Amino acid sequence: LFSGTGPVVVLLTVLQWAGRGLPSPVRPICDPRVLDRFIMEARDTETALRGCKAGCGVTGTFVVPLTNVDFVVWETKDTEEQALEVQSGMSLFGQALGAVRESVSRVAVQILIDNNKSNIHSLGQVLRSLHIQDLPLPPAPAVGDLVTRKVSSLSELLHVHTNFLRGKVRLLLTNAPACQQNST
Amino acid sequence: KKMTNDNLNKLLVFCVLFCAQKTSIVHGAQALETKVALLLHAEPENPKCFAEGMSDLTCFWEEDEERAGSADQYSFIYTYQNENSSECSITALPAAGGKRLYFCRLSQTQLFVPLDIRVFRDDLLIHNRSLFIEAVFLLDPPANLTLTSTGMQGQLKASWLPPSLKYMGDSMMYEVSYAMAGSHIGKVEEVQASSELILRGLQSGTKYKVRIRVKLDGISYSGYWSAWTDPVLMETMPGDLDPLIVSLSLIISLVLTLLSLLVLMSHRRFLLKKIWPIIPTPESKFQGLFKVYGGDFQEWLGHSTGGLWLRPTYFYSEEFPVPLEVLSEVSLGPALPSSALPPKASEALGEEEDEDKKLKRVDPALMEGWRKTPQEHWTMDQLRAIHQHPAPWTQSSLLESHDAYVTLNAQNHSVEEPLDDILEETLPLQVLFASGRTSSESRSDLGSVQQSSGSGRLSSQSSFEYPNHTWPSKGPGYTYMAVADSGVSMDYSPMSSNKIDDIGKGVIYTNEYKNEIPAHRRPIGTPIHFAF
Repeated sequence: LFSGTGPVVVLLTVLQWAGRGLPSPVRPICDPRVLDRFIMEARDTETALRGCKAGCGVTGTFVVPLTNVDFVVWETKDTEEQALEVQSGMSLFGQALGAVRESVSRVAVQILIDNNKSNIHSLGQVLRSLHIQDLPLPPAPAVGDLVTRKVSSLSELLHVHTNFLRGKVRLLLTNAPACQQNST
Repeated sequence: KKMTNDNLNKLLVFCVLFCAQKTSIVHGAQALETKVALLLHAEPENPKCFAEGMSDLTCFWEEDEERAGSADQYSFIYTYQNENSSECSITALPAAGGKRLYFCRLSQTQLFVPLDIRVFRDDLLIHNRSLFIEAVFLLDPPANLTLTSTGMQGQLKASWLPPSLKYMGDSMMYEVSYAMAGSHIGKVEEVQASSELILRGLQSGTKYKVRIRVKLDGISYSGYWSAWTDPVLMETMPGDLDPLIVSLSLIISLVLTLLSLLVLMSHRRFLLKKIWPIIPTPESKFQGLFKVYGGDFQEWLGHSTGGLWLRPTYFYSEEFPVPLEVLSEVSLGPALPSSALPPKASEALGEEEDEDKKLKRVDPALMEGWRKTPQEHWTMDQLRAIHQHPAPWTQSSLLESHDAYVTLNAQNHSVEEPLDDILEETLPLQVLFASGRTSSESRSDLGSVQQSSGSGRLSSQSSFEYPNHTWPSKGPGYTYMAVADSGVSMDYSPMSSNKIDDIGKGVIYTNEYKNEIPAHRRPIGTPIHFAF
C-alpha cells in the first residue's frame, strides 16, 4: 500500500509547491468590473442569507477586519500599507468563511459560502497581478487588534465582508500603481 | 504713511477675497438650494443627508415655522460603528413656504461603515437614522456640456467634464436627455464611466436640446440623481439627399413619363375628341347655305341650283355619287314602232325635244340629279316598297314600288344603221321618275340627254303617268335598269323586257357611265361609297 501511494503523494506535493510558487500573471488585472462582480456576489449572498433562521445554524464569533475608510487618512498611507491591510483582512475573512462552511448543513448555504471563498482566492490572484506581494504564510500579526473586531452572526460577517470589498479592497485596486500606468 | 498703505493693501485684499468668495458663496447657495429641493423630493427619511465629495456629509431636516424652535434647541448626535458618539453643530435657515431648515455638516467622514444619526429637540428624540455615507452621494451636475458635429448625418456628439471625485470616476453613470428644440417629448440615453456620447438617429437640419445628469452606479458607491445641467442647443447637419435615392427616383420618373407619353400618343385622337370635341357643323350637308345665304334656309331652298338635285343629303349621309354602270345592252330589232308608245309617251317625247336644249345645259346637273334625286325621292317610297314587296325584282313589282328606273333607249332617228352599229356608247338614256311625292312639279321634270355623237335621245317618263302600272312595252330594245335605293345603297339591276327574246342574238355588253364627281363637292376625308 505504502509503495502505491508514495509516488502520488510526491506528485501532489510537487504540484502544491508549483502552485504556490507560480509567478504572478504578467498582465495586471485592472478592470474594475472584476472586483465589481465579487462585490455583487457577496452582496447577493448577504441578502440571501439575511433571512436565515437562527443564523443558519452558525454559532461562534469571528474575527473580522475593520472596514471604515477615512480618505484623508487612507491617502496618507502608501501602497504597501494599504496592501497589508487588505491582505490581512482577506485572510481573516477566508478563515471565518472556512469555519462557517464547516458548521452549515444546508447545501444551498454551502454553495454560497464556497463561492465567496473562491472569490477571495481570486482576489488574491488579482492582487498578485498588480505586483502586490503576498503576505507571509503565518497568520496576521497581533497588530490586528486595532484593525479587527468580532462578529457573532453569519449575516453580520457577510455584511462586513461586503463592506470590506467595496471599500478598502476597491480603493487599493483602483489606485494600484500598475493600473495607473496603463490607464493614462 | 506706511501703516496706512499696509492697511489699505490689507483692506484691498480682503475686499477682493470677500468678493470672490461672495460669488462662490452665491453659487454654492444656489447649488445647495437645488440639492435641498431634490432631496426633499427624493428622500423620505429624516434627516436627509448627502455627501458631495470624498470627506463630507450634509444633513438637514425641515420644520414648519410655527412649530420651529431655535437652533440650539436641537442636537445632532452621530456615531460610527464601534466608535464613540459625536455631536454636530446645527444651523437654521429660512425656507420658502413658511418652513425652516436645520443643517448639520460634517467635514470628516468614514465610508464603508455604518453611521448612526440621532436628532434631539430638547432631549426628545425626533429623528433616528442609520446610513452608509458612500450610499448617499449627491453630486454636482457635470460641467462643460458641449455638443459637436460628428460629420455624419443625424448625429451629434455630447461631451462633458465628469465630477472631479477621486476613486469614483469609473463608478459614475450618466443620463443624457435630448429632444428637438421646442418639443417636450425627448429621449434618454444612459452611459457609464464615460465623458462623451454620440447621439444617433437624429433628424437632419434640426435644432436639438441636450442636457445631462450624473449618479453613482451603486456597486461600491451609490446615491441620488444629480440636477440636470442647463440645456445646450445645437443644430444637426442639413439633410443630404442620398444619391442612390435621387438617382432611383429620377429613373422611375423618367420611365413613368415615357409610359404616359406612349399612352397619350397612341390614344391622341381619342383624347383630342374627348378634350376638344369637334363641333359638328351641318355646313357640308347644306352646300352654300351658310356661305351664300347666311343661314336663310328658305332662300337657300328656293335658289338652290338644280333644285331637285341639290337637296339636303341627309337622307344619305354616307352615301355619295354612285357611278352608273350599264350592265347590258340589248340588240334592237326593227325600228321601234313609235306607235307602240302610248300617246302620253309621245307627248313626253315631244316635250323632250323642246327641252332638249334646256336639258343639255343641265347636263352635268342632271347627272348630279340622277345621283341625288333618286335618293331623296325614293327613300320613303323605297322603304315602303321594300316593306311591301320583299319579293325578287320583277317588272311588275318594280312598277308597283314606284322605283325609278333608268332605261337605255336606243333611238336613232337620223341614221339608219345596222343593228350592230347601234351598239355603241351613244345610247341615250331614258330615265323614268317615280314621283311618290307631289310636292313640287319640278320633280317630275323630264330630262333627256342627248349623247354627243348620236342623235339618241333620252326619254323620261314618270311612272304615275301609267296609273295602272302597266309598263309601256317599248320593244325589245329596251333594257331596264331598276334602281332601288335602300337608303344605304343604290341597287342597279338590269331588267329586260319580256320581248327581248332574241337577246341571245345580240351582243350584250356593258358600258360604264361614270359620273365624275367634282372634287370640291366631295367633303374632304369622307369615304366615297359606291353601291351596286
